Parts: sequence; structure tokens; C-alpha cells
Amino acid sequence: MWIEIAHFATLLALFLSLLLFGAPLAGMRWNNMAWVRVGRQAAFWACALLTLASAGLIISFMTHDFSVKYVAEHASLKLPTFYLATAMWGGHEGSLLLWAWFLSLFVAIAAWRHWDTHPVSMPWVLSILGALQVGFLLLVVFLSSPFVRLLDPPLDGRDLNPLLQDPGMVFHPPFLYMGYVGFAIPYAFAMAALITSQGDGEWILATRRWTLFSWIMLTIGIVFGAYWAYYELGWGGYWAWDPVENASFMPWLTGVAFLHSVMVQERRRMFKTWNLFLIITTFALSLLGTFLVRSGVLSSVHAFATDPGRGVYILMFMTVLLLFSFGLLTTKSDQLQGATQLESPWSREFSFLVNNLFLVAGACTVLLGTLYPLAVETLSSAKVSVGAPYYNKVFIPIMLGMLFLMGVGPCIPWRAASKRHLRREFLVPAIVGIAGLPAAWMLGITHPFGLAALALVLFVSTTHLRDVTGNVRLRMARDSLSAPAALWRMVGRNQRRYGGMLVHFGILIMVAGFVGSGLFQEERNLFLSPGDSLRLGDWNLTLESMGQTARRNWQAEEAVIRAERPGETVTLKPQKRVYNEHSQPTTEAAIHTTWREDLYVVLGDPVKDGVWAFRIYRNPLIAWIWFGSGIITLGVSLAMLQGRRPQRLST
Amino acid sequence: MNGAWKIILLGVVMAILGLFALGLENDPRNIPSPLVNRPASDFTAPALNGGQPVTLSALRGKWVLVNFWGSWCVSCVAEHPYLMELAQKTKSRPDFVMIGVDFRDTPAAARNFLARHGNPGYPHAMDPEQKIAIDWGVYGAPESYLVDPGGTIRMKHTGPLFPGWFEARALPLMEGGKTP
Repeated sequence: MWIEIAHFATLLALFLSLLLFGAPLAGMRWNNMAWVRVGRQAAFWACALLTLASAGLIISFMTHDFSVKYVAEHASLKLPTFYLATAMWGGHEGSLLLWAWFLSLFVAIAAWRHWDTHPVSMPWVLSILGALQVGFLLLVVFLSSPFVRLLDPPLDGRDLNPLLQDPGMVFHPPFLYMGYVGFAIPYAFAMAALITSQGDGEWILATRRWTLFSWIMLTIGIVFGAYWAYYELGWGGYWAWDPVENASFMPWLTGVAFLHSVMVQERRRMFKTWNLFLIITTFALSLLGTFLVRSGVLSSVHAFATDPGRGVYILMFMTVLLLFSFGLLTTKSDQLQGATQLESPWSREFSFLVNNLFLVAGACTVLLGTLYPLAVETLSSAKVSVGAPYYNKVFIPIMLGMLFLMGVGPCIPWRAASKRHLRREFLVPAIVGIAGLPAAWMLGITHPFGLAALALVLFVSTTHLRDVTGNVRLRMARDSLSAPAALWRMVGRNQRRYGGMLVHFGILIMVAGFVGSGLFQEERNLFLSPGDSLRLGDWNLTLESMGQTARRNWQAEEAVIRAERPGETVTLKPQKRVYNEHSQPTTEAAIHTTWREDLYVVLGDPVKDGVWAFRIYRNPLIAWIWFGSGIITLGVSLAMLQGRRPQRLST
Repeated sequence: MNGAWKIILLGVVMAILGLFALGLENDPRNIPSPLVNRPASDFTAPALNGGQPVTLSALRGKWVLVNFWGSWCVSCVAEHPYLMELAQKTKSRPDFVMIGVDFRDTPAAARNFLARHGNPGYPHAMDPEQKIAIDWGVYGAPESYLVDPGGTIRMKHTGPLFPGWFEARALPLMEGGKTP
């Protein structure tokens, strides 16, 4: 019953999306605002109906309605309630419905919030978003419907893939989708600005929060995915440069570029075409992610059901969108002349320009590495894979350059800096950075990238800390305030700036984690039987016993390992689980996390009687990656508090 | 934006879209096996239906289709009718035989599978510990290998054999000695 309601609601939502696409166009053609208002109402109702449809699908899961094909394929009677509800996006069809629901929600919010403030561009924004919504709903309704009934319903479902029965996997997709879909709003505003020739940048102010929101959702989604890969897949790492990971990383990179270069347009009226290019590219790369994931055009760890029919459809959708967007950009861009010119390479706008070039170059290297295997396979039918060695060589140097610019950008003035200013701002940080080199050498960092990263982390944190402490001191002296009060007032006056700086600190913490875990990971592969022990770092590990354990829908072999070091004893219990309905065992790594390092134990296969294979890792500083991403989230939240900045041009 | 940049931008976009259009034809599971045109690794394993152990080298002088399967494999069910048909059709050919390798499986489950879906009649080697499968570089099921009379692997097919596979893929090799 519920699934029919959901199906019908989705069909109605598709009809309303057509109206959302067409009515504003009609309104503009015949100059009748009533039609535009119809479009706006259609956006609200489509959102309500898709909410109903998503709820209907979730209810079908909760009530174990195995006559629904999608439910039968992704749930079972034994599946815990939490995973039952979230199994809605455990497969391709439901994911797309969730995707469409997010889009309709964001469209409705945009139609509500920007209606009064953007009368000129609103009809175009609605129409463009309507077209996107139609595109997704056609896919949901006709090519990957989650509403199909089975004529011969099974008594029990096939269960959710065990790897997805995990909190990390529950949250990874929705955040990623919110990030992808969120970029549709700035994209639509940008296109509307281009069509109505309002290239002066009002659309940037209007969509600043949307952009920040989408970017932080994407960040959280990526980090959840990395964290899940780390503790669930049991290979000791968190990032594999897999095509689908790359697909989420590319819009992230161009999104960072966009977040920075819009500041230049806001303050200096430059980079107008470039910003349009960036937001179109960011949204296009988000769609590319969908295409790569859902068409099966690339082999990937994300081995979803592949279906060429869907691939053809998404490709057509993407072709129309890309040709429309970039075609419009190339024909209309000549009207957008920058109001000012770069005056000096010693200026913030120039550092942002270089930052953008680095980020886009970074995105290009990732794109190249992702598409190269596809090109080789298509053109020569050989099989190649591009992995970490390529990205380590090409991508890391680019990101080290980024790190340097991160220290320069916030502390160099707009327009042109004097030599004296440069010396005052950057001499001390540069000395601190260089002084860090011998210290790093003594710590055992000998890899050139590691040394450079550490020096740059010191350089950037010094510039940022000096900026903050300098301003706090200034306020303390001027307004005779205590230090915390001065800090509070300073941050409160400019959440954008200090939110951004907090994000930079988060990145620095993550970089420390990347360097530590990337260069100093220790790994042991060995056979143990109960009673055996080994040494890893300053840990003494002893396999105490092997046993079995079981929960509602799985059984597991479980090892009990005692890990000791001076002043600390912990017990680790890595498991090898077999979920009912699935023959493939999954590994559950046992991880002991401290701020210094993770002890990470994976149980392998039994070798012979009583002897088991183990893989044991020591991953230094890996927790810093997760902690740093938390700081980034805080920073973005802070920056989002501040609405549009009052017009302040640096001319 | 000046003219050159416009052309580059649109050119890159078109090139990527074109690559995707061509790439949709690819099957990501189709990984060329390095074992093709190498001597097949020989094996002797107990037969599923009892009787003589199955030995690959005993079949020298004939083309051998080696089909890796398991009762746990869903695509094998889809493939099975064609194997039945092919076995029936080629029974009288003196130059072609088929054998199955039932891997990562228990004899009881495998016999149950054949009882349910039909027994094509050719022998099946049992490989519960995947020793043969690992030697042959099998990474999924079903996978099929065509071994020539001299004992060299000439072709690998990943995934279920499709109806008409024998005529389309195997016969050209067997008759012309050329790779299709």
C-alpha cells in the first residue's frame, strides 16, 4: 500500500517538476507573474510529495514489505531497526530517490528564501532547478524505480550488504548527496545571472551560504567515507584514490577554489567569468560523480549494480547540461569585463589567483588519473590502473603549494602590499618554518614531502596565530578588554574571516595526520596461536584466546588480544564476521585510538589448527585527520553565521 | 574569455563526454587474463559424482572448456541452461569436451544444485579450497577458459556464457586458430 502511495507521489512530483520548469518560462514569455508564482508553488508541493514518497519507501522497509523488490533486495527480517530505516539508501534506486528528495527540499527552500530578494533571476532559477529535478525524477520513475512490486514475494529479504551495516556507511551517502545536490542552487543562480546578464556578482552574495553548506556537507561525506573505509574494510588505510572517491574529491577541490575566488569578485569585481566557470565545473563534477558511480563505466571498489541503460540516460542528461552551461558561458562571457585589473603580484587577489590555479590543477590531475584507465581501455582494450604512486608524485606537490598559499592569502592585503608589510607579516613565520626542518629531521622525518609539509604547517600556523594574537592585543589595548572578551568580540565582528582561519587550522591538523600515517605506518603480517606475543612500537601484544560470538544477524570468530605498554593495558577484539544470508565474511578491525597513534588489529584466515593469520598496524597521528575535519566543520559553521557582508569594495 | 579559451573549454568538455560515450561499451569486469596463450596449469581433483578423479592433462588432443562455478553463485544459475544445451549439442564432437570446476563449495550443495537445475552430464572437479581457482586466476564465478588440444589456454570468458557463445567465440578459434 505505502509503496503505491510513494510511487504515485513521485509521479505527481514529476508532473509538478515539469510545471516548475515550464511555468516560470511561460510567465516570462507572456510577462505574467502569476505563472512564475505557479512554478514556485509547484516547487513546494513537489518537495512535500517527495517527502511522502521517501517516507513511503522507509515505511515499506520498516514493515518488512518484501513484496517490494527493492526492500526484498536490501533488507531482511533480522536486520536491526536502525539499518532497516537507513537501508532506504542502501541501493541504487533508493539512493536516487533520496537524491531527488534532497534536490526538491533545497529547491523549495531556495524558492522560499530568495523569492523576495531576487525577483529578476528567480524565474530562471526556478526553471533551471525544475529542469534538473525533472531529469532526476525521470531516472527514478522510468529507469531505476524503487517502487517495483514482486509477483512472487519471498518470505524473507536478501538482507543489506554487511559492509553497509555500519554507522559510517549510514551517514556517508546522505552527506555526500547533500553536498552534490546543494551545489545545484549556486549553479542555478549563476546560470540565471548569466542569462539575465547580471554578472556583477549579486548571485555570489545570495548563494554564499548555499556554497558553504554544500561544501561542508561534501567534506563531512568524504570524511565519513574515509573513516568507514578505515575501520570497516580492514586494510589499514583510509583513501585509495579509487575512481568513485576521486569523483567526490574533484568537486570538493573546485568548490574550495570557488569559495576563495568569489571573495575576489566580491571585493575587487574581478574573476567574473572564472567564478561562473568554477561553479559550473563544480556542479558538473558532482554530476560526473553520479555518472561514474551509477553507470559502471569504471571499475571501482564501489561495485554497484551496473546498468548501461542508466549510464546512457545520465550521460545524455550530463551532455545537455554541460553543453547548455558552457555554451552559455562562452557566448555570454564577453559581457563580463572585470572592473579592475590586478595591480601587483604582492596582493591577496594574486595569491587567490594562484591558489585557484593550484586547486584547478589539482582537480585536473585527479581527473586525468581517473579517466586515463577509461581512455586506455576504450581505445586499446588493455587494462591499466592508476593508483597511489601517481597521485603521490603529482598531487602532493601541488597540495604543498596550496599549503604555502594558505599561509599567505589571509595575511596579505588586497591590491598591493608594501615590502615593509611583507617583511612584518612573513619574516617570522618563514624563520619558524625553516627552523622546524632540523627539528623534523631529528624526529625522523626524512622524506622531502614530509619535511616540506611540516615546515609549511609551522609557517601557516605562525601566520595565523600571529594574526589572531595581534588583533586580540590591539583590541585589548584599544577597548581595554580582557583577552577572551577581545577574542570573542573580534570573532563576533567577522565570523567569515575567523571561520575561514579555523578551517585552515583544521586543514593543518589533518595534514599532520596525513604525514604521520602516510610516512610512519608500521605493518606486521604474521601467524599467531593463543599465547604468542609480539612487539610493535612500544606495544607488547599477546594473543590470549580465540573464540566465537554472535549477534542477531551475524556470527563471528573473535580473537582476544592484550596490548600493553608502560602505564596502559587494553584488550582488543578483532572479529571475522559472517552475516546470515551472505557467504562473504567481513573483517571487523579492532582499533585502539590515542592522540599519538592507532593500534589496529585485523583477524585474517585460520592457517591450520589453532593458528590464525593477523595483520597489525600502528598508524601514527591518524586520529588527527578525523579531529581536523571536526575543526573544519566548526569553522564553516562559524563562517555561515554571518549573512551577507555589507557592500565594501576595495577600490 | 577569448576565442582560444572558448575552443579549448568546449573541446575538453566534448572530449570527456565522447570518452564516456565510448566507455559505456566497456565491461569493467572484463579484465584480460595474463594466462591466455600460456600453458594451462594442470590439475587432478576428485570428481563431484564419484568415480575417476578429473585430470586436465588426460584430455590432451581435444579442446576443453573449463567452467568454474559454485552452488553459491547466482549468475551460475543464469548460465546453467546454456551449459546444458551446449553439452547436449557438442556431445558427438570428437574434438571438444567440457569440464566443470566446482570451487569454494561443499559436495552436498553442489549436487543439490545439479539436481535442481539439471545435470549437463560432463565431469566436475571439486575444488573446495580454491586451489585450482587460484592457480587459474579466477576471481569470480562463473568464469570459463578454453584450452586448446596442446594444453594452452586460448580464451577466458568472465561472467555467464551467453547463448550462441560457442559458435560466436569458440568455433572461430577452433577452426581458424585465430583470436576472434
